[in-house]
Amino acid sequence: MEFDEMKKIWDGQSHQSLYVIDEKALHNRIRSKMNSVRHAASITEWLSIIVYLGAGGILLVLNPFKPGANIFMYLEAAWMFVTVAYLVVSRSRRIKASRRFDRTLHGDLDHAISLAGYKLRLSRIMVWNLLPMGAIMIFSGWEAGKLLKVSVVILISYALAFYVGSKGNRVDKRRRRELQVLKEKLDAGN
Amino acid sequence: MTEKEQLDILEEWLRLHKGVIFKVVRAYTVEDYDDLFQEIIIQVWRSVPAFRQEASVSTWLYRISLNTAITWSKKERKHAGAETLDKVEHLLQDNRTQIDPRLTWLYGEIHKLDEIDRSVTLLLLEGFSYKEMSAILGISESNVGVKINRIKKQLIARSKNYDSHGI
Repeated sequence: MEFDEMKKIWDGQSHQSLYVIDEKALHNRIRSKMNSVRHAASITEWLSIIVYLGAGGILLVLNPFKPGANIFMYLEAAWMFVTVAYLVVSRSRRIKASRRFDRTLHGDLDHAISLAGYKLRLSRIMVWNLLPMGAIMIFSGWEAGKLLKVSVVILISYALAFYVGSKGNRVDKRRRRELQVLKEKLDAGN
Repeated sequence: MTEKEQLDILEEWLRLHKGVIFKVVRAYTVEDYDDLFQEIIIQVWRSVPAFRQEASVSTWLYRISLNTAITWSKKERKHAGAETLDKVEHLLQDNRTQIDPRLTWLYGEIHKLDEIDRSVTLLLLEGFSYKEMSAILGISESNVGVKINRIKKQLIARSKNYDSHGI
């Protein structure tokens, strides 16, 4: 076969769609994405609740016996408990809100986008939440006469947490964007 | 550019030139065409604000689609064997009523080439000039020429095999 003939065969391809979208497979895929975002959100919630509850509890229990303990340590523990309360309320709101979505393709897609948005917000809040906590710790260090040491530790921890959090945020953002593009495409197709 | 405008342009491009994307997808994967298709659509959507009308839309789409497919293909090769269950089910179903076996053979031969040669072959079959191919792929015109000569010889030689088997 000569190359010109191959070109003719190539040009003979139909200009119609070579493929059609399989709605059932698409629905399954959306549902699987939704479940993975829900799982990730749940893990973030539980992990944060456990860490803040544990750390706050330890601070509260050990503080009275610790030499050099001060009011800022109690404030830090209180802030952690407020964060736990916020997480519990957010979680219950999220679960309640999930009942609003029907189990259709579009309903599941809306649910997945909403969950991805929630997860992104939660991650951002958790990263920014480290800022007041760090500030309280610095005050505590200042009160205990260890300002420099505490400040350096806080700064390094915050930079690390911010880096890890930002990376996670980018993943969440991309995940939400992909779902939104899919929704816009499906809406445009209707 | 607003997101709405960006999406409108994407829709228009897809309406007029979706064949470009289907051809690239088919040339770069046998099984994961829905994944690659989705990846290309997202990259094309992202590229809309960067389109400056210095090239035609189809050339632009080829550039984005081929670059995405090449990167995707390399990445997929690295993660070969890490298939997840949801990949088994395909988003896109074959809608071709009559398949020319010679076209299937041609795609099969394109699959056997490396990533860059696949791109060159696709662009050659689409009738792009050496200059356009060079701009799309980021390789020199003389390099394009060398590759085309080799690919043509290779395809013609293999087609003799195909003809002699009478498929």
